[in-house]
Amino acid sequence: MNRTSKRMLRLKEELPFHLLLLPGVVFIAIYHYGPLAGLAMAFQKFQPIAGFFHSKWVGMKNFEYIFNLPDFSQVFWNTLEIAVLKIVFGLAVPLLLALLLNEATKSWFVRSVQTSVFLPFFLSWTILGGVLFELFSFKGPINALFAWLGVDPVLFMGDAGWFRAILVGSDVWKGMGYNMIIFLASIAGINQNLYEAAQVDGAGRWKQAIHVTLPGMAPMIILISTLSIGGILNAGFEQVLVLYNPTVYSSADVIDTFVYRLGLFDQQYSPAAAIGLFKSVISLFLVSLSYYLAYRFSKYRIF
Amino acid sequence: MKIKSGSGLFSVLMVAALMLAACSNSNGSSSPSASGPATSASAPASESASPSAEEQPKDPLGKYPEPVTVSMVLGARTPESKDVPSGLTPDQNGYLKKLKEMTNIEVKYAWTVPYEQFNQKFKLSIASGDLPDVMWVDQVTFEQFKEQGILGDLTEAYRDYASPTIKKWMEFDGGATLNMMKSEDGKLLGLPSYSDANQSLQTVWIRADWLKNVGLEVPQTFEDLERVADAFAHNDPDQDGQQDTYGLALMKSLNFWGFDARGFFNTLGAYPYNFIPGADGKLVAGETLPETKDALSKLADWYKRGLLDKEWAFKDENKVVEDMIAGKVGMSFGEWWYPNWPLNLVKDNDPKAEWINVPLPSYNGNPGKSLVPRARLGKIVVVNKNFAHPEAAIKMANFYPEMTKKEYNDVATPANGYVYEWYEPRVSNPTEMETNYIQVNEALKTNNDGYEFENGSGALLYETAKKYANGDQASWGLTFSRASEDGGWGITRQVRDSGQIVRSGFAGPPTPTQVEKGASLLKLTDETFTKIIMGSASVDEFDKYVEDWKKLGGNDITAEVNDWYAKNPMN
Repeated sequence: MNRTSKRMLRLKEELPFHLLLLPGVVFIAIYHYGPLAGLAMAFQKFQPIAGFFHSKWVGMKNFEYIFNLPDFSQVFWNTLEIAVLKIVFGLAVPLLLALLLNEATKSWFVRSVQTSVFLPFFLSWTILGGVLFELFSFKGPINALFAWLGVDPVLFMGDAGWFRAILVGSDVWKGMGYNMIIFLASIAGINQNLYEAAQVDGAGRWKQAIHVTLPGMAPMIILISTLSIGGILNAGFEQVLVLYNPTVYSSADVIDTFVYRLGLFDQQYSPAAAIGLFKSVISLFLVSLSYYLAYRFSKYRIF
Repeated sequence: MKIKSGSGLFSVLMVAALMLAACSNSNGSSSPSASGPATSASAPASESASPSAEEQPKDPLGKYPEPVTVSMVLGARTPESKDVPSGLTPDQNGYLKKLKEMTNIEVKYAWTVPYEQFNQKFKLSIASGDLPDVMWVDQVTFEQFKEQGILGDLTEAYRDYASPTIKKWMEFDGGATLNMMKSEDGKLLGLPSYSDANQSLQTVWIRADWLKNVGLEVPQTFEDLERVADAFAHNDPDQDGQQDTYGLALMKSLNFWGFDARGFFNTLGAYPYNFIPGADGKLVAGETLPETKDALSKLADWYKRGLLDKEWAFKDENKVVEDMIAGKVGMSFGEWWYPNWPLNLVKDNDPKAEWINVPLPSYNGNPGKSLVPRARLGKIVVVNKNFAHPEAAIKMANFYPEMTKKEYNDVATPANGYVYEWYEPRVSNPTEMETNYIQVNEALKTNNDGYEFENGSGALLYETAKKYANGDQASWGLTFSRASEDGGWGITRQVRDSGQIVRSGFAGPPTPTQVEKGASLLKLTDETFTKIIMGSASVDEFDKYVEDWKKLGGNDITAEVNDWYAKNPMN
């Protein structure tokens, strides 16, 4: 049997799978690659009626324009700082929770904690925003607690420092259930023999967690960090939009809220698209970098 | 072949348009064959038909021989009336059926969405370039469309088809608002709906029962007002033995349509967010003037002393209204309409609540002068330039006032499926408020039930006012806002006649720099002002703010605004 006929045979066997894949590929092509052509808008003075083909090309003018906007550096650094804090705590807290929950033995306890931690994930920011405002209001429960402790009441939502802590804290609280489940699943996938071997070697619970559980989870931790680094310029649009106000612009106005005001209120489509492209380019660079690092340090590859 | 004025050419176009409409009895608009150039091109062929068309009288509500389809989009509000048959959809609206019957215009909605989603959906339509024939748009969208050359010429359509009623309304302000709708070369691109600018005039609404409780008089000066605010915050004005009230209602946007700080600023002679004529006759931005700094320092002082809500900067209008209804605050600056909402709700909740309306108090011996904008522009009727029947839009605008006539009173009712909220365009009558006020008061004084009111709404107001006089509390809101001499419009027109107002000078579209830098500057203003009031920045930050504001585009905007002002001086 020569090589070509072997190849034909393989193709014949695999063809159904390729066909199964086809709808997904077509979908991605239409809805994910097709719209990429719209990026042309970032280099045009886009006018809806003229469309892509008749709008004027302006080169890098839109980029020049957005980088020269007085707010740009502020919203850029705000975005970066908020996103980094969210990524770090958004990984560390669920990881800690998963490790702790793994040590718990009563299954009803594990299940109820899982459920209650996961619950806020399903609430929208609009609802949570209302809850947070009540919670942190001047006469709300947190300030009542402060008063009981003899601390002066704080105007949380109007204090640039506190506000950012609330942003990060509430985001971590809302999202931690999701990552926790993923971490728990990866713990469940660790070979039990390793634990038994560790016990034979005299490792206690703590040593087992450090030397067996954590290394076993490493690929998952790296995967999730890699994926979240791509979103480093996403500081959580909905959340900020629901919660912010002029007194905390200095610490809370982010690229997305800025684009929202620019693109939707002022209908400056082209500059808004330019910012979007700028964000994507940076994200692409960061994802490539972290992917390379993940491969370099733990031989982990997605592709 | 350019479209210029001249009835000959117009009628040619008309005939061509009619032929086209006859060929494609649905959707005569979106097909490219009906576009402007094509219509012009086909004109010579139908030249022979033009003389007879020219002789046809131009009836504002004339019936087309063949049905004319008009595509529109609609953000449908929930009908106010509970009598609307359940399950009725916007395309079954009685007004549309009547319109078809009367004029043979058939409205087809490309889409309808709940009102709240309209802006978003419409912006998507704009972005995709898929626009209906007749649109009812705001000024910003209008300017955008104008710049992009989307709009059809309404010059002849308006001249030949606008009803005498519509023409009279357009003349109310000497045609000033209508002229704002013209292109550089004098083409009319839109038919505006506008109201009497005095409707924006600021007054103070105060709970008289609280005044009595704290033993104070109606404030005449700013110092009086401050005493009232202080007493409302600290002297238990609701007499429930609890420290649960504050002095002045204020919402997070200092410049809004209600419960905002405009009235406070105006009282102290400050006019931020507006361009007002300066000493040299040129327009100057109110944000940059020392009066604004003074007003901000006063507001900061009020905040520190607890006269404002600690958390005003996080409260939208609904939250503030909640506070008013819950009896936490009994004073607010605002416009004439408050009794109709939300003060009526305060009374529902607490029958003891009694509201009075007073002009802005004086400050340092100068009477408080409210700002009155140069124009109070509502929405604008425009047509797509590809639409073959621009006059249909005018007929549709003629149709709505026609339906408010007495003879249709029994037909055009919500129970019969007539939902006015769903009918667009509704050009409003700028004289309605004043005319109704005068006529209703005349009729009330002479107790003349047979009075011939100019507007249907006048007759309704008269009946409501009579009900209120006979003790019906539910009629208080409408009566006290529109008819009472010491109520909303009563006090407003009194201030108007006393001349204690300041007119803003700029009513043009956003200037190029405003479009570019406006959002940034507004953010700077809101941030600085809010911080100063809440004490997280000192009042002296204001001086740095003014410098920054000017540097970051404010100076350019001021220059552009003055260019516009030079071309459009106030009369």
